[in-house]
Amino acid sequence: MSLCVLEEETFRHCCRLILQQSEQLRDGWSWESVQGSQEGYLRKTALRSAVINSSPVGDQVESSSESGPQTSCQSWPDLQQHKKEQSVLVASAGADSIQGDIDDEDDDADEGVCTVSEGSSQVLQYEYHILYSCSYSTPVLYFRAFTLEGRSLSLQEVWSSVHSNFSFRLQNSPLNTITQQEHPLLGQPFFMLHPCRTEEFMRPVLQVAQDHNRPVNYVLTWLSVVGPMVGLDVPLMYTTSHY
Amino acid sequence: MVACLLCCVVDNRKVSLPLDLGVCVLGIYSLCATGGRSSMADDKDVLRDVWFGRIPTCFTLNQDEVTEREAEPYYLLLPRVSYLTLVTDKVKKHFLKVMKAEDVEEMWFEYEGTPLKWHYPIGVLFDLHASNTVLPWSITVHFKNFPDRDLLHCPSNSVIEAHFMSSIKEADALKHKSQVVNDMQKKDHKQLWMGLQNDKFDQFWAMNRKLMEYPTEEGGFRYIPFRIYQAMSDRPFIQKLFRPISPEGNAHTLGNLLKEMYPTAIPNDGEPKRYQVVIHGIEPLLETPLQWLSEHLSHPDNFLHICVIPTPTD
Repeated sequence: MSLCVLEEETFRHCCRLILQQSEQLRDGWSWESVQGSQEGYLRKTALRSAVINSSPVGDQVESSSESGPQTSCQSWPDLQQHKKEQSVLVASAGADSIQGDIDDEDDDADEGVCTVSEGSSQVLQYEYHILYSCSYSTPVLYFRAFTLEGRSLSLQEVWSSVHSNFSFRLQNSPLNTITQQEHPLLGQPFFMLHPCRTEEFMRPVLQVAQDHNRPVNYVLTWLSVVGPMVGLDVPLMYTTSHY
Repeated sequence: MVACLLCCVVDNRKVSLPLDLGVCVLGIYSLCATGGRSSMADDKDVLRDVWFGRIPTCFTLNQDEVTEREAEPYYLLLPRVSYLTLVTDKVKKHFLKVMKAEDVEEMWFEYEGTPLKWHYPIGVLFDLHASNTVLPWSITVHFKNFPDRDLLHCPSNSVIEAHFMSSIKEADALKHKSQVVNDMQKKDHKQLWMGLQNDKFDQFWAMNRKLMEYPTEEGGFRYIPFRIYQAMSDRPFIQKLFRPISPEGNAHTLGNLLKEMYPTAIPNDGEPKRYQVVIHGIEPLLETPLQWLSEHLSHPDNFLHICVIPTPTD
């Protein structure tokens, strides 16, 4: 069995360990199970202050119709060549709806509200779910975000809320794609960090752990890499304890 | 062997032949005549019929939309294997003629109160929500109050393309540990998408056949990419790992899959059939090998979409 393959049973075990820790740290993770099955997901909600901006970033809108979509699994060299295109396209989903002929008037109206203090931050409600993908044998992070008035953030706004420390990294890393997807257990729209390159960045971490015969919680380690990009920090307390 | 499998599919015309065009075409075959060893040509016919399946549809503007004059309904033959938002430019144009620009927001579709998820193939939406109803399929078109707790936004075709390619990649992760799709070049990916977008069967299949290959000695894919949809369920679909071949080396059938994933879909002996198991508008025999179904009745996204719906009571 490959080092990097996360079995569903191991996933659930990792989640149980995180829950035990979370209970002590009181940081709000819970397990939501799907009725009548073993399946479920880790869930946490958090308030987070972020700068959001629903207008397209710079000149990124123009080429969106011509170039490809935000295909999720570019190879590395490909990624380098196309990183500009990538950033364009990740942003394009929201951009078109605002720029197109069929404007979403609701969005526009709300946009006025939420960008009153453009450049300053506002408080948003985030909901994070950690699910298991049996196709990729990896954990997947799903999330959605609302303003305090209850309006869902668009893909454009979510993208703009990624902290600038991370946005460069997002655009240039295997995690470059945030897309809107159907939550596979709830059937509702969520944003998702695409899992198809997870194995690639997890392998070195797991290799080192194995070489030193050190136990590692796959889900926790993975979360500490992907979480901060969308405002989800993993307290150090988790990693200093023993598994 | 394959010829006989084809008969399984074809035989369903005796069971219950849905009324839409795609399936009628499937039903016309008399492939049993080809004898024991089937030819590739027969299989290609099945692929062709799946690809060219159409559903006659009547689009009606939602009554609450503000119009300058009355909106006539719009009729279209929808390709089963495509996506609603990819093939409804004409519908949009048609209704925009009677509306003011300021009354128009993102277009979305609804059938009898259910918002239709554009990211499911059209045939799946029809089988799941409208099987056993009168044709044409009557879809309501909306231009405001986009239900963003139910539907994904679809601002441009590049979003559909991303969704489509993401499904193909996930399917290949299951079938070949992503090896085939990763070995393809960007232009190859584009060929798959353009084939679907422009309804070019040959263009699509020239590339897609690579995704359908497997080592002969293994007898099938690593896992079968499938999704089982149930009408009237909170959970959108069931998707788990399932191999085409049993540990003993026997071919798994559609019945084997359902028995493991959704046992209530299979009638117990002596009990009336409560559910129909529908793929592309037909009910394949439960004895049909899953690997064959995966190769021939998968949608272009490379998933086998299976709908489990209540048997009509009348």
